[in-house]
Amino acid sequence: MHQDNNTEITFHHEYDREASRKEVIKITVILSVITLIELALGFWLYLSHQSLGPFMVHLIKGVILILMLAKAFYIVAYFMHLKHELRNMIMTIVVPLLLFVWFIIAFLADGNSYRNLKNTYDPYHKEQSETKVQKTEHGSKETDTKVGH
Amino acid sequence: MSQEVNLHEQVGEMTTHEVHHDEHHGHHHKETFITKYVFSQDHKMIAKQFLITGMIWAIIGGLFSVLFRLQLGFPNETFPILEDILGKWAAGGKIQPEFYYALTTMHGTVLVFFVLTAGLSGTFANFLIPLQLGARDMASPFMNMLSYWFFFIASIVMISSLFVQTGPASGGWTVYPPLSALGDASEGSKIGMDLWLIAMALFVVSSLLGGLNYISTILNMRTKGMSMTRMPLTIWALFFTAVLGVLSFPVLLSGFILLLFDRHAGTSFYLSDIFLASTQKALPNEGGSAILYQHLFWFLGHPEVYIIILPTMGLVSDVMSANSRKPIFGYMAMVGSMFAIAVLAFLVWAHHMFVTGLNPFLGAFFVLLTLLIAVPSAIKVFNWLTTLWRGNLRFTPGMLFSIGFVSLFISGGLTGIFLGNSTLDIHLHDTYFVIAHFHIVMGVSAFFGMFAGIYHWFPKMYGRYLNNTLAYIHFWITLVGAYLIFWPMHYQGLAGVPRRYLDFSGWASFNQFDGLNRFISIVTIMVFAVQLLFVFNFIYSIFKGRRVTSQNPWGATTLEWTTPINPGHGNWEGEIPEVHRWAYDYGKDGRDFVPQTEPISPNESPESKH
Amino acid sequence: MAQAVPAEQKWWSGGKSPFNVEYGKLMMWYFLMSDAFTFGAFLISYGTIRFASNSWPDPNEVFQSFPGLGNGLPLMFVSLMTFILIISSVTMVLAVQAGHAMDKKAVVRNLVLTIIGGIAFLSCQAWEWTHLHHEGAWWGSNPFLNADGTKATTNFTNFFFTITGFHGFHVFSGVVINIIMLIMTLNNVFERKGHYLMIEKAGLYWHFVDLVWVFVFTVFYLV
Repeated sequence: MHQDNNTEITFHHEYDREASRKEVIKITVILSVITLIELALGFWLYLSHQSLGPFMVHLIKGVILILMLAKAFYIVAYFMHLKHELRNMIMTIVVPLLLFVWFIIAFLADGNSYRNLKNTYDPYHKEQSETKVQKTEHGSKETDTKVGH
Repeated sequence: MSQEVNLHEQVGEMTTHEVHHDEHHGHHHKETFITKYVFSQDHKMIAKQFLITGMIWAIIGGLFSVLFRLQLGFPNETFPILEDILGKWAAGGKIQPEFYYALTTMHGTVLVFFVLTAGLSGTFANFLIPLQLGARDMASPFMNMLSYWFFFIASIVMISSLFVQTGPASGGWTVYPPLSALGDASEGSKIGMDLWLIAMALFVVSSLLGGLNYISTILNMRTKGMSMTRMPLTIWALFFTAVLGVLSFPVLLSGFILLLFDRHAGTSFYLSDIFLASTQKALPNEGGSAILYQHLFWFLGHPEVYIIILPTMGLVSDVMSANSRKPIFGYMAMVGSMFAIAVLAFLVWAHHMFVTGLNPFLGAFFVLLTLLIAVPSAIKVFNWLTTLWRGNLRFTPGMLFSIGFVSLFISGGLTGIFLGNSTLDIHLHDTYFVIAHFHIVMGVSAFFGMFAGIYHWFPKMYGRYLNNTLAYIHFWITLVGAYLIFWPMHYQGLAGVPRRYLDFSGWASFNQFDGLNRFISIVTIMVFAVQLLFVFNFIYSIFKGRRVTSQNPWGATTLEWTTPINPGHGNWEGEIPEVHRWAYDYGKDGRDFVPQTEPISPNESPESKH
Repeated sequence: MAQAVPAEQKWWSGGKSPFNVEYGKLMMWYFLMSDAFTFGAFLISYGTIRFASNSWPDPNEVFQSFPGLGNGLPLMFVSLMTFILIISSVTMVLAVQAGHAMDKKAVVRNLVLTIIGGIAFLSCQAWEWTHLHHEGAWWGSNPFLNADGTKATTNFTNFFFTITGFHGFHVFSGVVINIIMLIMTLNNVFERKGHYLMIEKAGLYWHFVDLVWVFVFTVFYLV
């Protein structure tokens, strides 16, 4: 049977339905709890952002971002089952994602630099961006900055 | 056979997945013209489709360069015949400015994407991956077919942009906003730009379908014994190329989608503070950043140059080893340096943007990372030279083009060190120095690698040889011509001659280059003519070339030469051979070569450690 | 062709998948990585423009309505959307697990629930888009002020509609894929094949959509 080489061969994965079901429930609970914590932090920011110093605001936002990554980990590791794949396969997926580190740092750093340059060399822009506008009800015409097409 | 696979202890059961369709096996079902030549799912036919489409594109893209070289070499002459052919684009027999920009834009787009990405990877990944790995076809032949047809549709859309009233995109192949975002800014930013973006989006889809297939085929479909470190370097190169494409093209797609919104939905992702001279109006767009587009573009754009050059590095390594009758020098170093190049490819994109308003401090990191690329590149060059060293060289056309590749890669690579320094780049940016650098290092040398591949594997593709005499003419004129065209451009660039300019006649300090420009243009036309000679050779040899009479005409070790001279769909008639050694056992134990399929004999000298 | 049996499995020696997965699953994984870079590029662009701006609207001022309950309720509606998506991901996992156990009835039940979850999410998104559109928000039009009371550029809404739209498009494709899986299950396609691995691939896609939402939810609504 020369066709045999023609088929891919994989081995049967160990599988226990009851254990898997328990794992799903556990992960669901974890994801829900993390989301609730995120929401609590979000409300904290919303209700007291006047009284919080900039450091606390950044700290809370940082915690929210870390929780976001934790959620991503649980989804990928358990729902997408990556944790139960062979180690080498996990590596082929996780290692390339490290590219995001430099991707994010470089882009955001340059965005920040762009703002500084503009504030330094375009005083009109700086002045405009510091001018407060009358606060009105949403959707009213005064603040509608519709751009012509 | 499959039952011999060793089972893991706790594993009780094996699953086999039918990968191929039934008609791939053994005896042929009746194939119609459509299923055999048009909607073929045979990787070899798809490879030929990519190759021939790529060749058509290369002729078109090359012709564009001849046209704009006419303008650059002979700015004061008129060519009435151009008006007969091109109409208003060449009114009075002179290339019009808008058309000149369209020509340079399309020349870059076509050659970078349609020829050296799709035409190159599409051809050799499709052709060689299953053959060299010992697979009957790609993991998904159907997706492979789709990949070609998406490329085909992209080609049609791109071609059609040449025929619209306002002309094709003309803002340079990088289509930087705001020029490309504002239809009022130039003729080429109107419908031609939309067609350009649509064509490129389709192209990204095609490249993704292909790339996913290449990666999973290389991982999953290797024949027994073909461990990763026994793969020919071509396969490694194509593997890294596919990874680069899969991870970087989507970023380009995102950039294009935002650009489309800027063009048509009134958004300001890339737009801010704009006064448009053509309409005498200030635009309301605020808050965007044109530099953002450049970041997104070059996040693909830089890996893209490795998508172009890596496959040819692989092809050249194999052709060179086979024709030196020596093992490739430093196999693992070759793999390692390709891996290093693939990683660094993602980290250096902003070296294209040193003078665009990029933060200079951030730029310093990009300089450092960029210069690191010299290390793996130098390792590769060293290994090619040591492979040639004291080899028993056979100067087949494929071998000549491989040697030419190394020469060009060195020449072009050295100037990359100049350009990678942000301080030097202030002077050299957007001059002919840059043109000279990237044409030599990734344009011409990639073509040389591609030619090496075509001359070497043509016998496998068509069961016939290309004509050698024409091949030697092709090689020497192209090599000498390439240097004559691009070497002088370094001097022009150092003198400050800016690229993309239509006419330098009003610029007294550049008058000294008038004769040089004319010379370059004449050589360009000659080199282009010789490429047509190659195309003639290619077509002629498909039908009338000398027939291949032995299975393994080059005495090569790799698996593709164990197939019949004209392999059918499924590649091997009997069982797929099993692999017992690496791909570079040339000149071992007094034997000219040992095929990969030959088991290690007990009294053989130890496997050369790679 | 006798061959010595090695002490442990040699995954890389050829003739089999080194990761013990079929090529389709591998392709799906690498496609999702590729798609992660598409979304990543969008979200990083959003971050870049935010970093390049002196001020930015406060999401709590913008997203503060709940159908039937009126205004002044920040984070409520998007929390609902988030939970819908998480739950639909859970039912998808259960469908995949049922597939492993060749339990057709459970596959069908969980797929139907997942599809309902997907449609519910899309409906929520449709409501939110409509609501914002009525307030004057759209591509190229932003009625909201910056958090510090200065005039905002349109890029807040530009990015919001582009990225949630692209995500919504993925949810929509996921629903379509799941409906196809449901039809194939009902027609016993997988029973005949002897495995439900196709559903596993659809599941990967669906979880990815959920995964992207984790990021979109955080960067648009929370920080």
